[in-house]
Amino acid sequence: MLAQQYAAIKRDLDGKGIVFSFSGYLSEGILYSLGEALREKMTLEDTDAPTVRRVFSVFVEQMQNIIRYSAEKVTGATTRAVELSAGMVTIGMERGKVFIVCGNTVLNADVPRLRDRLDHLRSLDRDGIKTYYREQLREEPEDGSRGATIGLIEIARRASEPIDYDFDPMDDERSFFCLKVRI
Amino acid sequence: MDSLNIPATGRTPGVAFDFAAGHLRLTGESYPDDVAAFFGPVFTALRAWLAEPGDDPITFDMELLYFNSSSAKALMNLFQMLEAAAKAGRPVTINWCHEENDESMRELGEDFSEDLRHVAFSLRNVPAGGIE
Repeated sequence: MLAQQYAAIKRDLDGKGIVFSFSGYLSEGILYSLGEALREKMTLEDTDAPTVRRVFSVFVEQMQNIIRYSAEKVTGATTRAVELSAGMVTIGMERGKVFIVCGNTVLNADVPRLRDRLDHLRSLDRDGIKTYYREQLREEPEDGSRGATIGLIEIARRASEPIDYDFDPMDDERSFFCLKVRI
Repeated sequence: MDSLNIPATGRTPGVAFDFAAGHLRLTGESYPDDVAAFFGPVFTALRAWLAEPGDDPITFDMELLYFNSSSAKALMNLFQMLEAAAKAGRPVTINWCHEENDESMRELGEDFSEDLRHVAFSLRNVPAGGIE
């Protein structure tokens, strides 16, 4: 039973072309380790250095979005400040392109603002995204944002297709947010 | 003023600010888990040095291979400090190095240079693998 259940999960991931997956509490330490593994795998497969950097860049911004904005987190201090944020990250290949899908819980109250930002990004062409990046580079971050806007622009810039996103309502307070980026 | 030397780690850049020679250099990769904690002392040292009287030329070599979006903001702050110094009359050169096949880094150089009016900014094409 045990092996059967987990084999089914693995088959499902394999079927979706997913090469790396992680679900649970994410931290900066996990970002670093998973990021290194991702780069090593791509380098071993003879991916050219700028493509590796582009994928890595999207990965870092997506992971940091979860770490900073997941509505489900544990923070505190042991020997140093710790921020553990629940979420999922999957990286895979589809039609010859790398994709990264990240998911995390968000507060329903934050959904409209996030949706507006993502819709705005989706409406822009390459030059529009570039101009938006230049503007945000010179802006002071909004209160409580820790630089989310420029992170999302960075993601859109590295993507080879418009970014996909979706929200799945969980209850009165929270929704599950998913962002898919093809590079 | 003493030089500021911070060796690179896997995710924080190497900082080599040789103030006596007017030569500032950033190398490696930058995606610190706490950007403010890393760049805070770098800003402080640069600000203090720029506040000292002097009009010797300054060269800043930007040799990062990768930086995340929060580091981009920090880098912009450094450039704005240098732009202010250049506006006050000090000759400042920024060399933005990118590997020849790294279009993303070259484009970022254009983004960063957009409103530098007084700094002499140059994009430097380096052979692939040519940046440590």
